[in-house]
Amino acid sequence: MSRTDLPTDHDGDPAATCEYCGRPFTHEQYLVLHRGVAHDGEITDEEREAYERASEREDEALRRFRLKALAALVALYFGFLMLYAVVTG
Amino acid sequence: MPSGSRRRVDRLTVASVAAALALVALTRPVFAHGGSLGQAARDSISVPTWLVLLTGGAAVGASFLLASFATDRAFVASLHEARPVSVPGRDAGATLLGVVGVAGLAFVLAVGFAGPQRPAISNAAVTVVWAGWWAGFAMSTYLAGNAWPALNPWRTLTELLPRVGRRYDWRLGAWPSVAGLLALIWLEVVSPLADRPRLLATTVLAYSVVTVAGAVVYGPSQWFEQADPVARVFRYYGAVAPVGVVDGRLVVRLPGAGLTDDVVDGFDEVAFVVALLWVTTFDGLVTTPAWRGLADWFVGRGLPPVVLYPLALAAGFAFFLAVYVAAARRARRTAESYVTALTLARRFAPSLLAIAAGYHVAHFLGYFLTLSPALVATVTAPLSTLSPSVIVLPEWFGLVAIAGVLGGHVVAIAAAHATAFDLFPGRLQAIRSQYPFIVAMIFYTVVSLWVVTRPEVTPPYI
Repeated sequence: MSRTDLPTDHDGDPAATCEYCGRPFTHEQYLVLHRGVAHDGEITDEEREAYERASEREDEALRRFRLKALAALVALYFGFLMLYAVVTG
Repeated sequence: MPSGSRRRVDRLTVASVAAALALVALTRPVFAHGGSLGQAARDSISVPTWLVLLTGGAAVGASFLLASFATDRAFVASLHEARPVSVPGRDAGATLLGVVGVAGLAFVLAVGFAGPQRPAISNAAVTVVWAGWWAGFAMSTYLAGNAWPALNPWRTLTELLPRVGRRYDWRLGAWPSVAGLLALIWLEVVSPLADRPRLLATTVLAYSVVTVAGAVVYGPSQWFEQADPVARVFRYYGAVAPVGVVDGRLVVRLPGAGLTDDVVDGFDEVAFVVALLWVTTFDGLVTTPAWRGLADWFVGRGLPPVVLYPLALAAGFAFFLAVYVAAARRARRTAESYVTALTLARRFAPSLLAIAAGYHVAHFLGYFLTLSPALVATVTAPLSTLSPSVIVLPEWFGLVAIAGVLGGHVVAIAAAHATAFDLFPGRLQAIRSQYPFIVAMIFYTVVSLWVVTRPEVTPPYI
């Protein structure tokens, strides 16, 4: 889960680098999440707290994403319903 | 952990994905003819092609949207667990399969040369190779598990021979097998292999000579793991199967669970996966009227007909591969990640195998069932000329074909989803990383559906 052994490349310095495994990240927030997912047993209490807060923020973002996905599904469904009605009707 | 309730939600999500897809399949009988064989099914299409293609593409997109509802890491990971099992008598079974394989090869060669030549369907070499092996056995590799390492007669034979022990050049990687796969498909398309038992037996003999020579020079394990295209096809199909071998132990898992493992090793192997997907499409593409028109145009402009097929095979493969590479490059950006594009290409490639397996079911299950009485009749009386009966499939059989295509996509999307969760720390990031791959999958689906909904004509210039 959130691998520690992946080949990476980047121009210039990465925005954040994991102190435990050296994996670079494009945003500090990804590093915070990565610590909690990949280094569960090793991290400090502050790092864990930061991870939990970031997870909650992510839950919020996921909820918004799900709403959009649901809207897209509904649009697809009714779009096709009407399309079929017009084309085959 | 609040994952108890979330897990229930996720189970519900999975159930609703399945239900929605079933609904799509049942309420769109037109699409059902997509993967089916035969002119009758195509003739009954009453919905314009563009709508069939649009529906197919939308079904893939909708399954991705539904899969994106499953965001509990523990749940996503649990779908991809493999449980080790011990089977008593595994070694004896493998030995027995080896004997069956060698006997089968000898049988195909003997009957191909000495058996009845007309009609070809009364020759057991033809029915064993096409219906028994390329349709039936190939289906077993992804529906059950890959038994080819045990059954492979060339492997069994060359294990017994002395070997030169030359080292395989690792820079070549899977490329010889990519070339081999394309060459085999070219041969299948341009030559009447299914109509001339002697030609088929000659081809099998030629393949045997090359394979035995290769395995003696490089040793069976290097040869069959790297260079041999057939072993690679079955090994990759086997990654889709519910039964597999991990570190020498038999494991059971959900279908497609093996696709999140690191099964594809480098760009060469990515190319092989894409080639496997491309050849299932190419097989049907050459029987479309559009291909005939294109071929006429090129030959009219002075292209020698001999190079027409190899050129199209190579060009189409390059195009499919370019689409996939573009998707991998793009995924690096949509996921905002430093993980190399090559790594992304490698890790997401196995999910395409489920799609290839789905198309294989759609193309070959009906073929296998149709020819199964002929297979039994010819194998039991290999030297007599018969006119074996064939099974005429009912109209609704098209639904089974479509279930194959859709099932392949569901498995592929679930595998890509789990792979993304394995790679990235952010859950939304994992979902975003899949966008380009889903677009590529929609492209492959639309192309394949377009091919199978065209009327079938004889391929020109062969």
